[in-house]
Amino acid sequence: MLATVNAATLHGVSGHPVRVEVHVANGLPAFTVVGLPDASCREARDRVRAALESCGLPWPARRVTVNLAPTGVPKAGSVLDLAIAVGLLVACEEIEPSAVADVAFLGELGLDGSLRPVPGALPLVDAVDVPVVVVPPENRAEAALIGSRSIRAAIDLRGLVLALRGDEPWPGIDDPVSESADDDGPDLSDVRGQRIVRFALEVAAAGAHHLLLVGPPGAGKSMLARRLPGVLPDLDADDALEATRVHSSAGGDLPGGGLVRRPPWRAPHHGASAVAMVGGGSGTMRPGEVSLAHGGVLFLDELGEFSPHVLETLRQPLEDGTVRVSRAGMSMEYPARVLLVAAMNPCPCGGSAAPGGCRCPPAVRSRYVRRISGPLLDRFDLRVGVNRPDPADLLGGRAGESSAAVRARVIRARLRAEQRGVTANASLGSAELEAAAPLSGPSVKRFEAELHAGRLSARGLHRVRAVALTIGDLEDREGPLDVDLVETALSLRIDPFRSEGPRVR
Amino acid sequence: MSADRSDDPIAVPATSSTEAHLAALAGLPEMGPARLRGLLADDGPEMAWSRVVAGRLPPLVQHRLGARAEPLRKLWMDAARDRSVAEVWASIVEAGFTVVTQGGPGYPEALVDDPEPPVLLFTAGHPVLDDDRPRVAIVGTRRCTGYGRDVAVELGRGLAAAGVVVVSGLALGIDAAAHLGALDAGGAPPVGVVGTGLDVVYPPTNRRLWERVVEVGQVVSEMPPGAGPTRWCFPARNRIVAGLADVVVVVESHAEGGSLHTVASALERSRPVLVVPGPIRSPASAGSNRLLADGAAPACGIDDVLCALDLLGRGPGPGPGSTPAQDRSPAMAGDGVTGDAAKALDALGWEPVHPDALAARTDLSPIRLGVAVAELRRRGLVDEVRGFLERRSGPL
Repeated sequence: MLATVNAATLHGVSGHPVRVEVHVANGLPAFTVVGLPDASCREARDRVRAALESCGLPWPARRVTVNLAPTGVPKAGSVLDLAIAVGLLVACEEIEPSAVADVAFLGELGLDGSLRPVPGALPLVDAVDVPVVVVPPENRAEAALIGSRSIRAAIDLRGLVLALRGDEPWPGIDDPVSESADDDGPDLSDVRGQRIVRFALEVAAAGAHHLLLVGPPGAGKSMLARRLPGVLPDLDADDALEATRVHSSAGGDLPGGGLVRRPPWRAPHHGASAVAMVGGGSGTMRPGEVSLAHGGVLFLDELGEFSPHVLETLRQPLEDGTVRVSRAGMSMEYPARVLLVAAMNPCPCGGSAAPGGCRCPPAVRSRYVRRISGPLLDRFDLRVGVNRPDPADLLGGRAGESSAAVRARVIRARLRAEQRGVTANASLGSAELEAAAPLSGPSVKRFEAELHAGRLSARGLHRVRAVALTIGDLEDREGPLDVDLVETALSLRIDPFRSEGPRVR
Repeated sequence: MSADRSDDPIAVPATSSTEAHLAALAGLPEMGPARLRGLLADDGPEMAWSRVVAGRLPPLVQHRLGARAEPLRKLWMDAARDRSVAEVWASIVEAGFTVVTQGGPGYPEALVDDPEPPVLLFTAGHPVLDDDRPRVAIVGTRRCTGYGRDVAVELGRGLAAAGVVVVSGLALGIDAAAHLGALDAGGAPPVGVVGTGLDVVYPPTNRRLWERVVEVGQVVSEMPPGAGPTRWCFPARNRIVAGLADVVVVVESHAEGGSLHTVASALERSRPVLVVPGPIRSPASAGSNRLLADGAAPACGIDDVLCALDLLGRGPGPGPGSTPAQDRSPAMAGDGVTGDAAKALDALGWEPVHPDALAARTDLSPIRLGVAVAELRRRGLVDEVRGFLERRSGPL
């Protein structure tokens, strides 16, 4: 007796439809899974058998062959457990074949017959080509994000069989109570003083400009960076779905409601490997930190401590917004459009960056500085120093603006960027920027002076111009870029490693 | 000594025989001022050289070196046999360096009675140390603030204009600023005393400054050509700086630092030490302010230094160099600045300030502050170092 059941398997951040074919024949009792299953997939046999027996369903003492089609695609994980069990039940004539014809089954089985959640429910549901999908209850909300499929949830195998036979209705399942508000981390209003850095955060959020914070330990670099997601606007529908796919396929926790609506925050430790950062691995490839931060903030604390190799692998994704990971067996493309925020100390001694404030001999400091390559430093449109806050501000200063107030301005600025055809000014190409941000006469003079003094490269010019445009957007300016915007953009681009003392011509 | 001279293809001129042999001895590997003095304790340079070539060391040196004596004896013997006096001399002459030796012509008067006089000095440039102009050493930290830098430039400029030779170490920070000021004045030529060989520019970033000092003034070193920077060569250099100077001026010094060595050497040699007072919160002035508390005289302007030299009348007359610092109020330096820029300049003070603090003090928006600071920077009144803003007394 042959049965065919629809399912799907995960391949990077996307799903592939799989047809599970179960053949039960006379012969010595055996159970074989073919069609490139990996270890956890092959173990399905033991889980399925225990689950069936726990639910009082029959286990055929005959020769069983399970084929996972298409057979050329490697299958990984336990997501096919449920489909194999259902296929077996159809093959044993416990369920009518017509009952499963237009239904896909996704889920892992427990030995007691219960359905357990699987990573990547969103892309998996997206991949199946039938109108009805059965998922474990925990995956329901996420699966429902694909509006075109009707989602059924089942608690265990017994309930599922009864529902498929039509003996009982599908169990009604309450979605987990979604948390009232998305957790965006701490609020900007906790920050005292630090006006310039707050402003830099606002500009970074409004224009998606990468931001480098340089300051001594205890100045509040991480504290400030942690508040950046809170001032970013919600992800738009496409980005939210893409981000959810990535998080879902990585098996991460999804927010209540299933959709990643708020910009994610990822802060990998500086010991992270290149694979952890950009994705890869054997079997199913996992997305890296840069993809998990898609649409949100990737924060690299202690930038100087990251391995140079890891930092260099980040350059391409930062440029392209996607990362393509190729291995012998397969190659994957992950989304990777992030707002990069990095923090580092000005020198190894941990003293202040103020002239005369650090104890490092000049040679030690220049060695430290050389860890950050010029091209990488160039990626940061905004580079600001963070100083320990003024004691007066710390103890008695006014509370700063709240994240919500800043976010409102950021959203307005992003709307203006959208009219230029991009999500944020940082992604404007040079021709687009030329059209969007013509320079006023004094601005041209200012740029000329910077270029002649050798303080600005061609790329730097483009970047400063984009930042100036973003500041203008925040200020609701119209027309050519005023020189004050240019000056401000330049002042947010310090050379964090300049040594003191005179320059000899 | 005539034995090894006869082997040489290039004959050493008789007049420079002493210098040549001393230079050759100084050029041996692992040689330093103390070891060199030891080798010359009983012998003349020629005798000492032939001893080394023969693989013998004076008993006193042997005793002092202890376990190092044997390897050094071998090292020196091999090096001395490898490179003759004439070859050493030819390379020095070719590089345009001259050698002055203790007791010989051109040896600085100031070092004659020194407790640790250098046995010889390599010099490049003009014989500035030969003339009888007064000399002032300006020393301080390599990690200076804009304040220290400006004061060093002003002092260097004012002193040179008053006909005083500025002596410094050609290091980063204060040293470089003092030399720059002196060069800028176009008065008395400056003298750089360095801790490496004259052909090893250290730190390399100072190459241009070094070359300009050689062009206009003089650079001297106790170390032979080719000697790189070592841990001990800078303190050794500092004693020569102190010895050459009539007055030592400390501009900025951290609580620990090389300039305090120079001060100790100066006190040992009874040279007056003047100290430029610094802000009490500035780490770069911790050491110099401590010196003031310990009784050093304050240097609040050119006049204080000229006074210490007994040269008050020789000031450059009315001009930037002669104006006492206390008469130059911030408002004067910032003349013509109005509006936000004036507000920012007032709030800036004379210590490094982070823009955050400046924004809090002036209550200006980041954009208005950015514009104000840009204007001040354009006028040369403010400089930015690693994100901090520093008041400047003038462009240089």
